[in-house]
Parts: sequence; structure tokens; C-alpha cells
Amino acid sequence: MNHDINIGKLQRNCFRQSKVPGEFMLQMRVPGAVIDAKHLSLVQHVAETWGNGKFHIGTRQTFSLPGIKYENIDAVNEYIKSYIEAIEVELCDVEMDDTDKGYPTIGARNTTACIGNQHCIKGNFDTTSLARKLEKLIFPSNYHIKMSVAGCPNDCSKAHFTDFGIIGIAKMEYDYGRCIGCGKCIDACQGHATRVLSKSQGKIIKDTCCCAGCGECATVCPTGAWTRNATKFYRVIIGGRAGKQYPRMGKMFLNWVTEDVIMGIIGNWQDFSAEILEHKPIYLHGGHLIDRAGYDRFKEMILEGVELNPESEVAERIYWAETEYRANIHVKPVNK
Amino acid sequence: MSYAVSIEKMDKVLKELKKKYRVYAPIRFEKRGRYSDTDLIRYAEIDSVKDVVYNEKSDFSPKEVIHPITQTLFHFTEYEYRESQIDDKEILIFAHPCDINGIKRLDTIFLENGNNEDVYYKRLRDKVKFVLMECQEDWDTCFCISMGSNQTDDYSLAIKFGEDQLSVEVKDNEFEGFFASEEEIDFTYKFVTANQEEVNLPKIDDKEMLKKVYDLKMWEDYNARCKDCGACTSACVTCSCFTTSDVIYSENGRVGERRRVWASCQHEDFTEMAGGHSFRNTPADRMRFRTLHKVYDYKERFGEEHMCVGCGRCTDRCNQLISFSKTINKLTEEVNRLQKEVN
Ligand code: SF4
Ligand code: SF4
Ligand code: SF4
Repeated sequence: MNHDINIGKLQRNCFRQSKVPGEFMLQMRVPGAVIDAKHLSLVQHVAETWGNGKFHIGTRQTFSLPGIKYENIDAVNEYIKSYIEAIEVELCDVEMDDTDKGYPTIGARNTTACIGNQHCIKGNFDTTSLARKLEKLIFPSNYHIKMSVAGCPNDCSKAHFTDFGIIGIAKMEYDYGRCIGCGKCIDACQGHATRVLSKSQGKIIKDTCCCAGCGECATVCPTGAWTRNATKFYRVIIGGRAGKQYPRMGKMFLNWVTEDVIMGIIGNWQDFSAEILEHKPIYLHGGHLIDRAGYDRFKEMILEGVELNPESEVAERIYWAETEYRANIHVKPVNK
Repeated sequence: MSYAVSIEKMDKVLKELKKKYRVYAPIRFEKRGRYSDTDLIRYAEIDSVKDVVYNEKSDFSPKEVIHPITQTLFHFTEYEYRESQIDDKEILIFAHPCDINGIKRLDTIFLENGNNEDVYYKRLRDKVKFVLMECQEDWDTCFCISMGSNQTDDYSLAIKFGEDQLSVEVKDNEFEGFFASEEEIDFTYKFVTANQEEVNLPKIDDKEMLKKVYDLKMWEDYNARCKDCGACTSACVTCSCFTTSDVIYSENGRVGERRRVWASCQHEDFTEMAGGHSFRNTPADRMRFRTLHKVYDYKERFGEEHMCVGCGRCTDRCNQLISFSKTINKLTEEVNRLQKEVN
């Protein structure tokens, strides 16, 4: 077969080039990684009718359907219209002009999430709901961004290895009268978290500097002396990445911010990207983009117009720690 | 006499009552539960009958009103001490029958144990009157019938909650006046007559059998399962253990207070003595102790009834999903087996 296929265009349509010329893998978005199981029959149908009968649980939690032949792409796109509408338009309230031709862009990648407090006893919030709200801010945009949402500082969704990692934390409140001084919270904090609790005269004292906001103390407390403040708080980790050259773990940018702040900064992401990329939505890893702007400029632009809640903490500076598979990575020729 | 009372009217009555009483009922603390986005239901003072959670079991029992989690007994300085004060208000507690019976068990422990009345308990307990709440549902962890604690006549008012109306039975004349202008109805409080959960109590007739029960293999199961957290005893309406200690105010090392704070027999350090020796060293030991205390020891000592009233909160609160009623049933099966072996 003689191929003349614009693979860039197909990639933007969420069909990824494969080893076999003329075959592609469709990546279907699942923002926040939870949807009704009924959608599986559609996924199965596409895989068995046009794909090679298999599906990959994409590393970004997409349904990835390999082995789709170029000539079937229109049919597939037509068939997945109902899925795109159900997920993007109905669940995420995304504004889309056209759902007939498949996904309009691959720019912002699927936002991954752990199951969060929909199920998990450690989860501090509903990760999927937040991911869906974020979807409305980032999709469909050609500017690249990868996000991951974790229900608690265990970070099962690896928020530390993505452009923006959002981690749910809880402000713990202590009821002195209800505490029986059993020390279970001390053990829990010691075993699972940051060792900030200790006992004094039969009650608990806390070094508030470094509470991870995990909620382990509340989970073990037999009397309900520790409870979570009902407001949901978040920690934002930025600039994590994998890659061949210099992977790195992300660093804390914001701590104890509210959902409004999250919406504000992610809402600013496109303008920030456009500015730094001179309005060309080329693929550049979020971490590299932040590096290109420099942390100070990034901070200024991403927090533009965002009202920080009084509990917020903002990183003054960030010291990245890269794994340098190529040495002298930050030393560049002058005129390049 | 019984009356149909609107929520609005009841709130007016409540407002009047609050002049004389502190009124406690199980209320919802939104999102304050053990896990995120779960609620906590526990006793607190109410401002409206709308606050009363009548159709869900509270996580904690009403015992904390009379046997506070942290209670200051007296304050001391270098040369003198002064007993802690409580206010003059009387206390009204909304409770289900099992809890009222549970508080009767506490009375036995605090007021009749060793002919020694506990004054700190008594001074609060003497103020208490109960508002009986109808059990509209037999929750699946309740086993009050098996424990004979599904009924009580120790109440001043009995209430059946409805969407916008209450049926109120007034048993205590003190409260008649509040309802005189209300519509009289034919309402009598209905006690639960059946539980989904049935518990068979062990018959341990002699010390020999008791010794065998001590050595049962079943207890060892709990070494891996029970985490010694003490959630069960905190939730239990009849657990009464506390630790007394002196707290020294840091600004002046000679001034302070003596207080008592709840303790739990499930905690590792409960039996610890000076020198670090402890005589119940494993979760299995402690589980055995608690079980036998609730359905054997107490009755052996005080005669009439078992300590456990079957409210089932220990089961509800155990995050290791250890069911106390199932534990008792297992024990009874084992005792029956042992009995057969003897015969
Ligand atoms: S929320 Fe804070 S205090 Fe509680 S266990 Fe976690 S780190 Fe420790
Ligand atoms: S676990 Fe709860 S009761 Fe025990 S010491 Fe900690 S706060 Fe106090
Ligand atoms: S609540 Fe469960 S795990 Fe905790 S001490 Fe009681 S039985 Fe053990």
C-alpha cells in the first residue's frame, strides 16, 4: 500500500502513528480517569470493528486502541461522536463546535487521576470532579499541558512527575477536649507522614511547619479529636517530567491553596504558553516551558489576577534536581 | 398524654426549655467524619429539633455528656485546691433505649461499684432527664433485643420524628404545660421488637470453663486483625475507663489541675504498671478481655444484666471491620463446643 498520510494532522486528531505504516492508535480521553462502565461497550466495538481487537490502558489513562487502519479513521470518528459528547460536553461542559470529526486536538493531554475519595479511605477529595472542571479550562486547546490529580500526598497518580500535579490536602483541626492522649495520631504521623506530632501533658502538640495534610491522624483517632476542615485545599507540584535527557521530579509551587486558585492558575496556562512560545502552539514539555520563561516570570504570569486564599504558601524559588543523562545541560551556546 | 407537635412549635418549646436545661442530641458535623467527605454524628447541644439526627445512628454515644472525655476534677496551687465548677443548668438528653440502658450500666459502675459514689459523675448524672427517640429502623449492627436493652421507662418525653411533625408522649408532668394547647393524639412509643442481628450469649458456668475460654484459639485471630486503636471503646456507651493525671501549667510549675481523661482497654499501655510490666500484651489478650468484660465479668459481679447493651457502635466504628456481635457469637459457639466435650 502506498501511503501519503499527514501524520501530524492525524496526531492532532488523537491517532498516533504506529510501526505498521498506515495503522494508528486512537487515544480516547477519560479526564479524571473514572466514567460509567457502560462506555466500555463502545470502546470494545471500536477495538473489534476497526482496531486489532485489543486495547491499552494508556499511561495517561486513555483508552488506547491500536491497529486502526487509515481508511477507517473517518468511520471511527463518526462512531465515537457519542462518546466525545457524553464525556467532554456532558460531563466536563467543554465547549466544542464540532464533534463529528473525532477529537479536535491532542494539545492538552488527558488529565490523570487516582480514584480519590470516591473510593479510597486516604483520599482527601474527589479527584475526578476536579479533573473534569480542569478539562473545561484546557480542552480543546492546542497548547500542550499535562496534569495529574492525586487524592492525597501519597500521590498514587504521580503528580510529582507531570507539568502540573495537583494534590488534595486537608487542614486538620484538633479538639483538645476530645483528645484522650492515646498517641495513635503520633504513631500514624510518624509511620506515614512528616512526624509533626508529639505529646505534652497528655495532649497533642503539632509542629505546623510541615504537616503534609494527609489526614492519617484523623483516620486513626478513636474519638474524632482530629477532623478535617471542610474546605478542600491543594498542593501544586510543577515541572516534573520523564524523558531521555534530564528527567526530574516536580517541586512544590503552591501549598494550601483552594480550588479557586487552581482554576485561576490553570486558566492562565494558555496565555502563559502563548506568550513564551510566541503564539505558536508547538509541542514543548511544560517543565521546559517553565524553564524557558524562568521561574520568576512563570510565577508572575501564572498568578496574574489570581486571588490567593489567606492560607496559601508560594515557593519563593525552586531548585530543580535533574537526573542528567547528558552533562552540562544548562550550558548553552551564546547565540542559540 | 400524647400530642401532635409541629417542628416550629417544638422549637419554641425547646427555646423555653433551654432556659433551664442544656439540651443534648445527636447532631451532624458535616464532613467531619473519619474519611474525607463523610459526616460525623455525635452529641452536642442543639438549637433546633431540626438538628437532631434521628434516622442514623450516632458515631459516639451520649455518655460523653455525663462522663466527659476530658474532665477537670480540681485545680491546685501550692497550698490549696479548689473543686472544678459546673453550671446550674439541668440536662436533657435525646437518646434511644439502648443508650438509656447503657447509662444505667454507667450508673452501676460509677455509683455502686465498691459502695463508693463518684461525685464527679453524680453531680452531672443527677441533672439528667431523657427524651426517648423512637427507633425508626433496626440498624444492621443493633442487637439490643439479645441484650434485653430495647426497652426503658426512664424517660420524660418520648418522640417519634416525622418530616414536619412530631408525635410526643409526655410522661413527666413537668413538661405537660408546654404542650397543653397542642392536638391530643393516640401515640404510644413503639420499642423495637426484632433485630436483624441476633446474638447468642455464652454460658460460662464455672472457673474451669472460664480457663478454657481464656485459652481459645479464636482470640489469636485478632492479633493480626485488631489494630488496638480504641475506636470501639470510645464509641461504646458503657465503656467507662479513664486515667487520672495532674497537668502542671507551664507558666508556673506549682499550679495546675487534676483531670481525668478516657482510657481504652484496647490500647497497649492500658495495663502498664510502674516498671513497664503489662499483663495483657497482645491484641488477642485485649480483645478477649473486652469481650468477656461486656458479656461475662460485669454480670458475674453485679448480677442482673450484661454490660453490653447491643448498641453496635463498636462494630460501626471499627475500621478493621471487626464485628462485636459476630465475635460474641463465635465465642458462644466455642463455649458450646467445649461444653459438649465436657459432657
Ligand atoms: S495530616 Fe499532618 S499531622 Fe496529620 S498525619 Fe498527616 S502530616 Fe501528620
Ligand atoms: S489519636 Fe486522637 S485521641 Fe489519640 S492522641 Fe491523637 S488526637 Fe488524641
Ligand atoms: S475498633 Fe477494631 S481495630 Fe480498633 S481496637 Fe477496637 S476492635 Fe481493635
